[in-house]
Amino acid sequence: MLIRALTSHYRRHPLQLLALAVMILLSSALWSGIHHLTSQARHSLGDSESALAERPQVVRDDGRPVTVTDFVRLRRAGLCVMPWLEVLPADGGAWVVGIDPLAAHCAARQPATDGLSGQALDGRPFLDIADAAELSARASRLSLLWHDNGVPLPAGYRRDTLALAPDTGQLGDSFLLNLDALSVLVLLITALLLRSVYRLSLAQRRDSLALLVRLGVPERRLHAGLLAELLVLSLVCVVPGLWLGQGLASGLGQGFGQALNGLFDARVYATDGAGPLRPLLIMVAVVLVACAWGAGSLGRPTGQGTGKTVVWAAGLALVLGGALVVLAPALWLLFVAVALVFLGYGLLTPRVLAAVAARAATRVPDPLARWRWREFGVLCRRLALPLVALQFALALVLAVQALVTTFESTFEQWLGQRLSADYYLELPDGASGAEALTWLRAQDLTGQGGAYHRVIRGRGWVACPACAGPQPVDVFALAPIGPLVHSWTLLAGDDRAWPRVAAGEAVLVNEQLARRLGLSVGDLVQVRFTDGPETGVQAPVAGIYADYGRPAGEVLVAARLLPPAFAATFESLSLSPGRADLATLVAGLESVWASGPVTVRDADTIRQLASQVFDQTFRLTRAMTALTLLLSALALLLMGWVFLMTRVWYLRLLAVWGLTRVAMAGQLLRLAVGVALATWLLALPLGIGLTWVLVARINPMAFGWALPMAVYPGFWLVLAGVALAVGAAIAGLMALALRRPALRPTPASLSAGGER
Amino acid sequence: MKPLLMAIVGVLALAGCADAPEPDGFAGLADAGPTDTGVPFLQPRPGDRITLPADLGPHPQHRIEWWYLTANLRTDDGQPLGLQWTQFRQALQPRRSSDPVPDPQRWPRHSAWMAHAAVSFKGQHRFAERLARGDLGQAGAQAEPFRVWLDHWELAATGVPGQWRLTVAQPAADDAPPWRFELTLSVAGEPVRHGQQGFSAKSASGEGSMYFSLVDIRIDGTVTLGERRLAVSGQGWFDREWSSQFLKAGQQGWDWFALHLDSGDKLMAFQLRDEDGGFRAGTWIPAHGTPVALTGEDLTLEALAHRGAVPIRWRLRVPDKGVALEVSAPPGDYLNRGLYPYWESPVSVSGSHAGEGYMELTGYLDR
Repeated sequence: MLIRALTSHYRRHPLQLLALAVMILLSSALWSGIHHLTSQARHSLGDSESALAERPQVVRDDGRPVTVTDFVRLRRAGLCVMPWLEVLPADGGAWVVGIDPLAAHCAARQPATDGLSGQALDGRPFLDIADAAELSARASRLSLLWHDNGVPLPAGYRRDTLALAPDTGQLGDSFLLNLDALSVLVLLITALLLRSVYRLSLAQRRDSLALLVRLGVPERRLHAGLLAELLVLSLVCVVPGLWLGQGLASGLGQGFGQALNGLFDARVYATDGAGPLRPLLIMVAVVLVACAWGAGSLGRPTGQGTGKTVVWAAGLALVLGGALVVLAPALWLLFVAVALVFLGYGLLTPRVLAAVAARAATRVPDPLARWRWREFGVLCRRLALPLVALQFALALVLAVQALVTTFESTFEQWLGQRLSADYYLELPDGASGAEALTWLRAQDLTGQGGAYHRVIRGRGWVACPACAGPQPVDVFALAPIGPLVHSWTLLAGDDRAWPRVAAGEAVLVNEQLARRLGLSVGDLVQVRFTDGPETGVQAPVAGIYADYGRPAGEVLVAARLLPPAFAATFESLSLSPGRADLATLVAGLESVWASGPVTVRDADTIRQLASQVFDQTFRLTRAMTALTLLLSALALLLMGWVFLMTRVWYLRLLAVWGLTRVAMAGQLLRLAVGVALATWLLALPLGIGLTWVLVARINPMAFGWALPMAVYPGFWLVLAGVALAVGAAIAGLMALALRRPALRPTPASLSAGGER
Repeated sequence: MKPLLMAIVGVLALAGCADAPEPDGFAGLADAGPTDTGVPFLQPRPGDRITLPADLGPHPQHRIEWWYLTANLRTDDGQPLGLQWTQFRQALQPRRSSDPVPDPQRWPRHSAWMAHAAVSFKGQHRFAERLARGDLGQAGAQAEPFRVWLDHWELAATGVPGQWRLTVAQPAADDAPPWRFELTLSVAGEPVRHGQQGFSAKSASGEGSMYFSLVDIRIDGTVTLGERRLAVSGQGWFDREWSSQFLKAGQQGWDWFALHLDSGDKLMAFQLRDEDGGFRAGTWIPAHGTPVALTGEDLTLEALAHRGAVPIRWRLRVPDKGVALEVSAPPGDYLNRGLYPYWESPVSVSGSHAGEGYMELTGYLDR
């Protein structure tokens, strides 16, 4: 009987049921999509850290890469070595690893095969090595993992550690924390939206529920019935929602692993996401808590907490959060600060708007304007939750857009400077970079408008008076230091920096290292290039350069400072031929090196590749925020419509007062658009604040580099357009509803919309 | 008769290899599925002949084959020591002998190899297993000069006519000390072609393999168990067998015996077990004269005692030859605990003849 009484409401108002169902479904889809992506990222990072933790490997003494021949030689000598073929597929997938389960048998249940036994060879990330070798690869590398079974290494080989994932410190964690924070924020927004829709429908049922109480239904039973109804509804809607979200995530998530690759310079392998049960439970819990929390008194209207305490609490949260945002020393504290600011702002916004409307209503002489202001106040109070949700979503989208756009332009600019040479030649094995330089010097490239330098990369250590012990860094050495680098914009330091570095009197450090060691221009550092007895060089920091996309600290020096014992891990030539013929130069270098064909890559290809990697990362972030905005807009639309429908009879009074239908529609339009635009306007400061937090606070803490703060008013207008569209759509729907003749007046007490 | 090859396929299948066939029968040996390269697997038929020395080398167009040595040795102080070395090849993709060998740089997956070695001494059984991918050089076999190897284990001709050398070394693992053996094999006598000129039927419906043995092998060498180095000598039995479908579907396993009798005669006998009572065959190899193929009607096999599920004492009769033997495994556990566990033990022979030999029992552990 009770069930029939409860469901009769939805039979009479199927639209309300539909609205609630759609909200639950879309919220679940949005949140599960984001959750899926986050856990995918977490798995990728986690797996690459555990499965790919450092393992011993066997390398050749002469530094040449190992081959199948080396593998066979070592196995025939009785060693337990296993091939490990890493391949980056040319078709754009994530890194995969070819392994040989037969060869790994000699180390079964040994640490060398930890995390490998029982691995499915399905390309996530492991493949049979034959399949991996068949892939068309952008890059591939063979290593020989070693389980030491007591058989000594033959001459010509030595033990090394296979750093399967470079040391990214805490950066991986920070990145995940960022994703988590975003996903919590989205969950919060969806909870707000759900709550608002549900509370509205509950308000409209209040009288019938009160009637049931008066007829003798115990309130507890009524609560239980409502809870059961909510549980059924959420289960019915959450499941397809989650399924939708997973589809969304797998659409977006392709190439996500690769995006992470680029961001952390780490090999991240594609893996499965988490199982479906946890998101299901979380989402159902969110629906129940968001909707049923505080639903204590069914017979009475729920108060919106207009008391001064709330305002004070909101003010306190704002001040405290604001202070913490500036001062927080750790990322998690920063997130707490941002949450406090959002909380305070969200609590204040509807109250401030309502107060402004109330004050304005007393000051305008025109009765219609006064009506509008009063109505504006009512809307702000009654639609507080969806308004705040839309506001948060607008702020989030604005901030993320600013961050992404700033990053893109900064990165483009930086890449343009870094890739100032037209071509890049990787030195073949055994080739001498010094001989190449001597030969290039003889070609008088400079006289033909060309330029070149040799790049030598390796590892070193930097110590400074304020640092705790020498810090391992990447060494980036150049010779000669010439026009190819002069165009670099330094974050600190001036034009005099380059000649001093060229002369070997000073060094440059990247932003990451400068931040980590607290270095600024003029500070003295000690740079060591080998782990032998060599003391290295002491030199002042002449400048700080931007180095996006990777966490490692780096020091830039003139190649002349490198000692002969320096172990270069990578050498290349950057070449702008000017008027000289590239083919002739390459042929010349090949004959100097007595090598086969040299790989020449042009700057555009590299630029494209680098941009592609970042695009993928940000496409994901953008999609997540855009979806949040879409959902919020939809929620406000639904809410506005449902809410205003309850006031149809009241609005008809405007006609009684003598307004034409067109004039009435105009009033509604001004009202709805006014509310939406006010929401947008108040979202702006929040969004700008969030942008600043992202570029100036979160980014340096999470990634080691900061971005310039930029705002994009053009995009604000786009968002204003969205708000406008929502307002106009509500007004349009209302105007349609008003066209239908009124059957009977609705008693004001029948709905929460009855406030006057 | 050591067909455990499909074990390797099992590894690949477990590891998720898409084209590994489903194991069928014990260790998958009843499988004869089609291939996807257009090159068919060759199935031995009655009338097929053995060509030597070519057939000491690999048969890439057959699915399975093995090189198998058992040895009944004695230490200087007369203690018996049993020893086994086996190498298997399992084709994952058949290849004509005339086809080019695939490029090792592509880590081809055309064949998988497995080697087993075991030493049984004073009731203790040491077993080791090695796996490898074929066509890389890590494992392989060649007829001339004869050589079969996997990692650093190798059986190879020394250059002296009729002399081979077998080297196996197993490093220490967990708490087990290392062990190794280096043996010199002096091969005498003619190869014994089992069944019909080498075609050895394995069921009444025609499944079978090409099978020959070298049964007169003098062995000398050293076996090192941990710190203990033992000089050993004795006699060995070497089997060569290849096929593409070894078992008939429904056959669960086999019992196989290779016996050196004190009379100088030798006896090979086996039975393949199924629901209908099984299929028996063997070869009587007299000290002088021509080997005689034995059919199921010529011999009987009866289990007399079990150790756990494994029958460790047998009665073997070949009435026509006046043979009524009791064949017993010594005390101890002789399970080769590899990918597919099976029993492989030296045996002593009593009854109408005394003697020694080896016994292999498969398919008892799945019950």
